[in-house]
Amino acid sequence: METTSKSLVKSEARLAYLLLVPSFIILIMIAFYPLGSVFVNSVTNKRFASSQKTEFVGLKNYKKLLGFKVMVLPPVIDDATGKQKFDPETGDAVWESPLDVLPTEPVRYKELSQFSFMGAQYVIGATDPDFLQAVGDTVGFTILSVFIETVLGLAVALVLNSAFKGRGFMRMVMLIPWAIPTAVSSRMWEWMFASNRTGFFNILLDKIGINNGQFAFLVESSSQLWVMIAIDVWKTTPFMALLILAGLQMIPRQIYEAAYVDGANKLRQFWSMTLPMLRATLAVALVFRTLDALRVFDVFQIVFGANRYSMASFAYYQLVDNKLMGYSSASSVVIFLLIFIFDFIYIKMIGGVDSDA
Amino acid sequence: MCKRMKSFAVLVALLALISAPFVMAGGQQDSSAPAGDSGQVVVTIAAGAVGQELELTKQAAAEYTKMHPDVLVKVLDTPDLSDDRLGLYLQFFESQSSEVDLYQVDVIWPGDMAEHFEDLYQYPGMKEDAAKHFAPIVQNNTVDGKLVAMPWFTDAGLLYYRTDLLEKYGFDGPPATWKELETMAQTIQDGERAAGNADFWGYVWQGNSYEGLTCDAIEWLASNGGGTIVSPDKKITINNDEAIAALNMAKGWVGTISPKGVLSFGEEDARNVWQAGNAAFMRNWPYAYNLSTSDESAVQGKFAAAPLPAGDSGKGAAALGGWQLALSKYSNNKKVAAEVLRYMAGYDVQKMRAIEGSFNPTIKSLYQDKDVLDATPIFGTLYDVFVNATPRPSTATAPRYSETSKIFFTNVHDVLSGKKDAATAVRAMELDLKDLLDYPTGSPE
Repeated sequence: METTSKSLVKSEARLAYLLLVPSFIILIMIAFYPLGSVFVNSVTNKRFASSQKTEFVGLKNYKKLLGFKVMVLPPVIDDATGKQKFDPETGDAVWESPLDVLPTEPVRYKELSQFSFMGAQYVIGATDPDFLQAVGDTVGFTILSVFIETVLGLAVALVLNSAFKGRGFMRMVMLIPWAIPTAVSSRMWEWMFASNRTGFFNILLDKIGINNGQFAFLVESSSQLWVMIAIDVWKTTPFMALLILAGLQMIPRQIYEAAYVDGANKLRQFWSMTLPMLRATLAVALVFRTLDALRVFDVFQIVFGANRYSMASFAYYQLVDNKLMGYSSASSVVIFLLIFIFDFIYIKMIGGVDSDA
Repeated sequence: MCKRMKSFAVLVALLALISAPFVMAGGQQDSSAPAGDSGQVVVTIAAGAVGQELELTKQAAAEYTKMHPDVLVKVLDTPDLSDDRLGLYLQFFESQSSEVDLYQVDVIWPGDMAEHFEDLYQYPGMKEDAAKHFAPIVQNNTVDGKLVAMPWFTDAGLLYYRTDLLEKYGFDGPPATWKELETMAQTIQDGERAAGNADFWGYVWQGNSYEGLTCDAIEWLASNGGGTIVSPDKKITINNDEAIAALNMAKGWVGTISPKGVLSFGEEDARNVWQAGNAAFMRNWPYAYNLSTSDESAVQGKFAAAPLPAGDSGKGAAALGGWQLALSKYSNNKKVAAEVLRYMAGYDVQKMRAIEGSFNPTIKSLYQDKDVLDATPIFGTLYDVFVNATPRPSTATAPRYSETSKIFFTNVHDVLSGKKDAATAVRAMELDLKDLLDYPTGSPE
């Protein structure tokens, strides 16, 4: 008796593995093989669509992508006074040019940014400032846009979950931004952010008397990232709201009635019941959105082109415009590892939710 | 155990999900095998589809098949955007596909793509054909003595100006120098604003950080004697006083005669301002001419086009644009395809395209053809602009032109937006280009 059940379990397990084989083969074909070839390409100088011989270059691509240096900028001394020079127009202190300070041999470090600390001026030089900036921009974009989307999505979901007339219609209308292809919505927003009074936002600014309606949203580096975040929030808040709404509807009504009888007010109900019970839903929604946002490509590509990159559009430009397949692959691997870290954190999170339940 | 399996499965699924975009589509061949009638040779052209382009190419293709019943010329529709088209072509090249026999290529590509194209000089009649086209374009398409592409239609930067406003403010012709343009633009802008049009600007152009800015900026440089970034004999020439002066001049326009937003303008943004009647001058390509004469245009009948103004060199310069036809090395029917190419880039088809679509011919004698001049009169007056257009250094820097251009336009953009001063920018460009190309430095001739 004992042995039969054991062998039954064994054969069941074998069948289960057998049934899994096709999915694993497909996975290997569509995921591991290309991923593997990206890894292999990333240590070569392979050029895209070229007959030039491909050589192994080790970690050279990675060194170029990630190399950076922080150096002190010495002050420029005024010969007459023996003290640091000041710009006569702006009154700012004058420092040596990063071009003279950053090393050029054996590789050239280009200026990524400058900062002052304790009265000294520092420059961050990078062998590929574009990539480091793309990483910084994409991570910043991800954190901010996902945070805003979650908060707004939760608010929208709470509204749509309450009973009011025309709720069905509202739920439908809410989804419109999500249904519009990103290529279309990006263009639309690009026009709304136009730098003169043909753009919606400049018309608004003009009406309230700011900047004469000539604010160049897409040019000023201070506003560029916010433009991206605005487009993404507008587009994906509905998706967040939809996911959260589904989670909200799984919470049984009765417990709110019980809480009401026990004298818990709405706020207390939200913090002590709704939020904890939404935890699993929120975690799943966050995973989806974060991974999506880290891979952002279309919005950046359409609005900024080679002007400002996301990580994915950087990889695209290196491959298609510059035909540097090896280098582009290396950047893809770095992106992959970055996303993997985010993954790992989230999977830990989901695991935690599971064991609670 | 079970839980671990589960998280493993989730992990694998996520891996698959995120790796998807890194999977580059390998071939993209919807291999419709040559499906001509019995014994027909099929020649496929990958051609552009902007505006009337596709229609006219199909028309010429049908014409060829009528004359040569044994050859079927097929036209493959390709993406509108130059960059997307490049991506598609590269996939064909990477897989050495024989799907496409003739490629329509941008003027900056021949250097980069030379290894995938046949030397056209090997085919009968090509040498004589090439001699009839504009010399700078033939030069641009010649890589190591091989003609890798035949000019098809050309483009060059032009100055559009409002004839009515010039007259209103007492100027008797388009500006001959940048200085004159600045004065005229300022006068007209002040006047029109005082008259109540707060959205009026003197001069609009392409200032966004992209290839279009390379075209605009190379015009400022070349007209000022500042060279073309890298000279044709492979010397880095960007670090010179004339270039610095030219960049400072353009920087002075931003926020005075040109809106600050010009730094995000492409061709169409400039045209929109212009066509709404809100600019006195515009730098743009010839395509804007026909659109500006349309009924929806506020400047209809009130404008003309002229060569771009001259700088300190005393000469104006226009950036060379346009498209060529190239014969793929991987074609299965090279001889027939070469004949098709000769026909497509030849006198009759270029004439038809010039008349029906205002595509600028590359064959010199077409600029004296009465039918062509009747259809598009500006061709006659602007002959000198097209024949003398300044090529971008794409052949000298191949296969790294794209990176060269990116270094150039980002630094120029930094100067225009005030992030860098011009002297620092040209030094930075020189260092970056040395790093990228490993060429010696020199001064522009």
